[in-house]
Amino acid sequence: MKRPASIAWRLALAFSVAALLGFALSAAMLRTASQNAIERLQALQAHDRIEDLRYLLERGRATDLAQRARDKIETLSRDGRTRYWLWCDTDPAWRYGPDAEALAQRIKGSGDTPDIEEIDGLSMALRAVALPATPVRPPVTLIVGVNREPYRASLARFQARLLLLSVGGALLVAVLGFWGVRWSLRPIARMAAEAQRVGPDNRGQRLQLPALPVELADLGRSFNAAIDRLDAAYAQLETFNADVAHELRTPLATLIGQTQVALSRPRPAAEMEELLHSNLEELERLRTIVADMLFLARAEQGARAERRADASLAAELLKTVEFFDALLEDAGVSVYVEGDARARVEVSLIHRALSNLLHNAIQHAPAGSRIEARVERGEGFVRIALSNPSETIPPEQLARLFDRFYRVDASRPNSDANHGLGLAIVKAVAAMHGGRAFARSERGLTTVGFCVSLE
Amino acid sequence: MKVLIVEDERKAADYLRQGLSEQGCSVDIAHDGVDGQHLAVHQDYDVIVLDAMLPGLDGFELLRSLRAVKNTPVIMVTARDAVEDRVRGLQNGADDYLVKPFSFVELYARLQALTRRSRVLDATLLRVGTLQIDLIARRVTREGQRIDLTAKEFGLLTLLARRQGEILSKTTIAELVWDMHFDGSTNVIEVAIKRLRNKIDAPFDRPLLHTVRGMGYLLEER
Repeated sequence: MKRPASIAWRLALAFSVAALLGFALSAAMLRTASQNAIERLQALQAHDRIEDLRYLLERGRATDLAQRARDKIETLSRDGRTRYWLWCDTDPAWRYGPDAEALAQRIKGSGDTPDIEEIDGLSMALRAVALPATPVRPPVTLIVGVNREPYRASLARFQARLLLLSVGGALLVAVLGFWGVRWSLRPIARMAAEAQRVGPDNRGQRLQLPALPVELADLGRSFNAAIDRLDAAYAQLETFNADVAHELRTPLATLIGQTQVALSRPRPAAEMEELLHSNLEELERLRTIVADMLFLARAEQGARAERRADASLAAELLKTVEFFDALLEDAGVSVYVEGDARARVEVSLIHRALSNLLHNAIQHAPAGSRIEARVERGEGFVRIALSNPSETIPPEQLARLFDRFYRVDASRPNSDANHGLGLAIVKAVAAMHGGRAFARSERGLTTVGFCVSLE
Repeated sequence: MKVLIVEDERKAADYLRQGLSEQGCSVDIAHDGVDGQHLAVHQDYDVIVLDAMLPGLDGFELLRSLRAVKNTPVIMVTARDAVEDRVRGLQNGADDYLVKPFSFVELYARLQALTRRSRVLDATLLRVGTLQIDLIARRVTREGQRIDLTAKEFGLLTLLARRQGEILSKTTIAELVWDMHFDGSTNVIEVAIKRLRNKIDAPFDRPLLHTVRGMGYLLEER
């Protein structure tokens, strides 16, 4: 997979594109606004000049008014930005400017919108006004043209500056954005450095949450929680290894010691035979522990019950109870089974789990009491639970009930036929059927059971 | 019973040879897959004990090539308790499967079960010393006295009597009497045997039901 581009680069790019768009939009608006203003200015200028001349032409009573008007026009023209035409159909004295007749025919520019025309290679805004006759002059048409070139030049300069500003601004935003993002992402680098320090030798190391910005605090919390879980599993594995070594050490020590004592002098065959039997018993115990541990390891690696068949769990429970008949009678305990449900299970595994549960219940139930076994169907699962009267188990012990080698009664480490693995196996069998094991203990009644998923 | 053991670990092969020979079997040993295949194909055995992991030719391959020509019963033995291995072994035509570490008694019981399959047991009356079991009337008597047994006790006694003189492991007993197929350790069988012993042996002089510590139980007149 291609590695995605750096966050800083991507954000900087996004910032600059956004900035460029923003700048371009405002530049376009500014340009339109200034163009409008300039055009209004041109119209106003033309209007002012017309008003100047109109005053003279309408109020002037001098007999050489035509000459005066020409002089005034000459004066006004000197600014080089305006041009004037006069046209009179009858009196040539009232004519001024080249092609005045054609212009007077064409130009209607009045009000706010002058006509735009190209005259002598210059773009001009033209306005015309028809002045009726006065006692000293015939009717004339006055035309004023304002040269647009200087305006257009400043507009072009303005536009160029706007463009430069937009591009420059966008670049500045990109650079600042890139730097800003890099700066804001520094906590991530710090997080990475802190995470790097977590290891088997430094399992207590966690991310410093208060030092993280809000956005990263959640990630940090999740990371810390994941490390906590791994840490717990690691710690459990360590105790487990210690437990295994401890469990195996006792029978091994017995085996070695017994054999050495037996071989230290000649002994009759019967005595040797007795020793071998005793050794065999210890070895058998070791074999069972190893086989159970392999079973648990397999379940933990995610092995699922493979050879499943549809079965009535109450029927399998009754069969297991029958198997325990002699033991129950010896203990003076009875079992009452109620409820039923069918599920697809691996029957031999279920027998194993039920045997362990029953064994556990018999061990803790007082003589003369009754074990109540209940099979219930729930939403998507079936539950089997065995309840027996017993001393109430405190919650901290209850939580560890399914741990390997955990025994509620620590003073009897080796009396247990299951070597302290019985309930761990119940949990494993439940997991192999997509379920889980559970335990409850209150008011002198302890309930231990498991559920299997109906898939 | 003629047995072929294909096992590369010499110490294991040697004790199996000794144990089975002492039970009256004639035993051949192959230490690798190639020898094993040669013997299995060219000799006639009642049963073959086949290790899955072998040098030269592994157990599964050997089994496949054997099944192409013969139907000799085969027990696969493996150190790996992986379901795929078990399935693979049984699919390739193994008749039974044992996971190391297994007990010798267990192996011997399975060998006997495999070779006995064809034999018909049609006896209606079983005798062990002065003990008589009437399978039709489901009556047990010893020295003329009637002994009352529960259904499971009767089943247990019948099993021991049918296979008298043979050590039966707790696992075998749990399987054949209670149909409980798991390798768990409970003292259920001990208690059941103790109760049976109270009924058939306690009132009489000579005990018939014997415990072989660490191995199992057997019924015989000594």
